[in-house]
Amino acid sequence: MTYFVLFLGLCFVFGGLAVASNPSPYYGVVGLVIASVVGCGWLLSLGVSFVSLVLFMVYLGGMLVVFVYSVSLAADPFPEAWMDWRVVGYGVGFVLVVVVGVVVGGFVEYWKLGVITVDGGGMSSVRLDFSGVAMFYSRGAGMFLAAGWGLLLTLFVVLELVRGLSRGAIRAV
Amino acid sequence: MSGMHLSFYSAFTLSSLGLAFHRTHLISALLCLESMMLSMYIALSAWPVENQVASLTLTPILMLTFSACEASTGLAMLVASTRTHGSDHLHNLNLLQC
Repeated sequence: MTYFVLFLGLCFVFGGLAVASNPSPYYGVVGLVIASVVGCGWLLSLGVSFVSLVLFMVYLGGMLVVFVYSVSLAADPFPEAWMDWRVVGYGVGFVLVVVVGVVVGGFVEYWKLGVITVDGGGMSSVRLDFSGVAMFYSRGAGMFLAAGWGLLLTLFVVLELVRGLSRGAIRAV
Repeated sequence: MSGMHLSFYSAFTLSSLGLAFHRTHLISALLCLESMMLSMYIALSAWPVENQVASLTLTPILMLTFSACEASTGLAMLVASTRTHGSDHLHNLNLLQC
């Protein structure tokens, strides 16, 4: 079980590498989807299932869907592939940066692996993260209202940024 | 640093390097920014597990909220740039020429 969680951690790094060295935004979105699915699996194996499902629904099902069709708006019709020499060069360079950082920083403590999980934290029928997020409504009400206000303001910011009707010609895109 | 911490730390570093070296498209930079937010979310979620403190679970949820705001603003700027210049290539954003 520990090795499976380590494998998920390794796949998370490879997803991040795929996003960073993408030949085209299509492949960058694939790397981001892989990284978020693997991250959800990692959080599930740690026991915090609520934050994992929040990541899945809000991030993968909300934000990444919007990114995918923005990529279809903005990307080239004939993208490069992975085996272009520039892309491979970028990938090898990034891996080299991480490896050099690990070696220079000292390889002493990375063997310390361990996978722990959570319990109820005093409440008998829910786990730790359920009871933690429920504090948003009791002790964290001020931050909750601030976040809601920020989301409402963002809606108006986005509407102003993409308005094309009265501030210029109606554009085809 | 334990093995799991190294994992999301290096994913964050790789994404920030990808943001620094973005090449052609604006949306590649936005994807690297999203990947940085993802690794920060996972790091903040691992914190209540390690310390067994329930109220630290608020931090990743709050971070995800503001990350959604930032992603939507970035995509709105991408759409505005595509409507103005026809594509989102970064060499179109050349008002500050040196």
